[in-house]
Amino acid sequence: MAAIAKVSLSQIVGLVEAIDEVGGQADVATISQEVEMELDRLGPIVDAAEFLGLLRVVDGDLSINDLSRKVLRANVKERKAIFRDILENMPVFRHVTTLVRSAGRPLGKRDVIGALAGAVGSHHSEAFFNALVYWGRYVELVRYDSEAEQLSLRTPSK
Amino acid sequence: MTDAPPLLEVRGISKSYVDGAKEFKVLDGIDFAVRDRDFVCVVGSSGCGKSTLLRIIVGLEPPTAGTVRFEGQPIRADNPQVAMVFQSFALFPWLTVEQNVELGLEARGRPPGERRERARRSIEEVGLTGFENAYPRELSGGMKQRVGIARALAMEPLLLCMDEPFYALDGLTAQSLRDEILQLWSDPEHPPRAVLMVTHNIEEAVYLADRVIVLSDRPGRILAERRIDLPRPRNRKEPEFYGWVDELYSLIV
Repeated sequence: MAAIAKVSLSQIVGLVEAIDEVGGQADVATISQEVEMELDRLGPIVDAAEFLGLLRVVDGDLSINDLSRKVLRANVKERKAIFRDILENMPVFRHVTTLVRSAGRPLGKRDVIGALAGAVGSHHSEAFFNALVYWGRYVELVRYDSEAEQLSLRTPSK
Repeated sequence: MTDAPPLLEVRGISKSYVDGAKEFKVLDGIDFAVRDRDFVCVVGSSGCGKSTLLRIIVGLEPPTAGTVRFEGQPIRADNPQVAMVFQSFALFPWLTVEQNVELGLEARGRPPGERRERARRSIEEVGLTGFENAYPRELSGGMKQRVGIARALAMEPLLLCMDEPFYALDGLTAQSLRDEILQLWSDPEHPPRAVLMVTHNIEEAVYLADRVIVLSDRPGRILAERRIDLPRPRNRKEPEFYGWVDELYSLIV
């Protein structure tokens, strides 16, 4: 999970597009050649795409699905909305947004990581926090003040 | 067709540098035009003078000979209708995303209210809403270049010039950003009207451009100009696509 949290949504879209261009299905080695990226760098991107439900991975074979095709057809704004939907509905992130909503105020990084530890274990909690901040900020699900280390919810711009 | 002058007209541009007693010619007799709705890529190997050409076009460097006209008028470095995106992103680490985006407008003396409004709009166009108060260190490479693009868009330029804008990014991030640039350019409601981009990457040029200008090795001369008439979105794996890539390669090598 620590490596997944460093993957950007742009990289995931780029990966899905690369697989689409070769017919929607390919093995990891082929894609690694296609996108000129070593497996150690590609691995976390594949994992992140699978984690978000945009990729099916079976025995090293990658295939895209209806959701990833929808992402590819969408423009920047629509993509954001799709990713926002995905993140909002993942139980681990929902756990945090529910918590912040019920607190009715921004929560500190430590509190959120503490709450995440209850859900995913203390070993992974910081990585999930980083992923939530990294992706959640882009899709306008959360705000994060890196100086004060405070997380809050936001309503997306129209 | 109208008789309006092209957005950009480059005529007989040459550039030489003097080093001691020796003169190095980097560009030689470059002629081309960029018209409304064009997406033009200039390709060439490294050191062929293509970045220098772009710097001359936006008025950052004077040519040794030749003229650059924008809508029929000689180009000026402070022409707000031409904006530039740099390979290195050119962000200031101590400024937030919003402050970095506003910088170009501030330099042109626009009032604070207008700066904020235009910055907000262009930040939204590149999908950076939510990062207004973030610092560059909090952003990935792709996000940093989106800030660079937002800063250029905030000028509401007619012509967007880009110097190897995806060079510093990994292949997957670069491809997402290419698609986003195509979306921005193809929206007739918003700036820019035309894009002029310099790249060493022939595949990238064939993916993006409707016209590709091929420069020779130093001194850079125009070897060929090709119209890429493939429909969009283009698939980099299709034979027609590869036919174009091969043809352009054979011109350079």
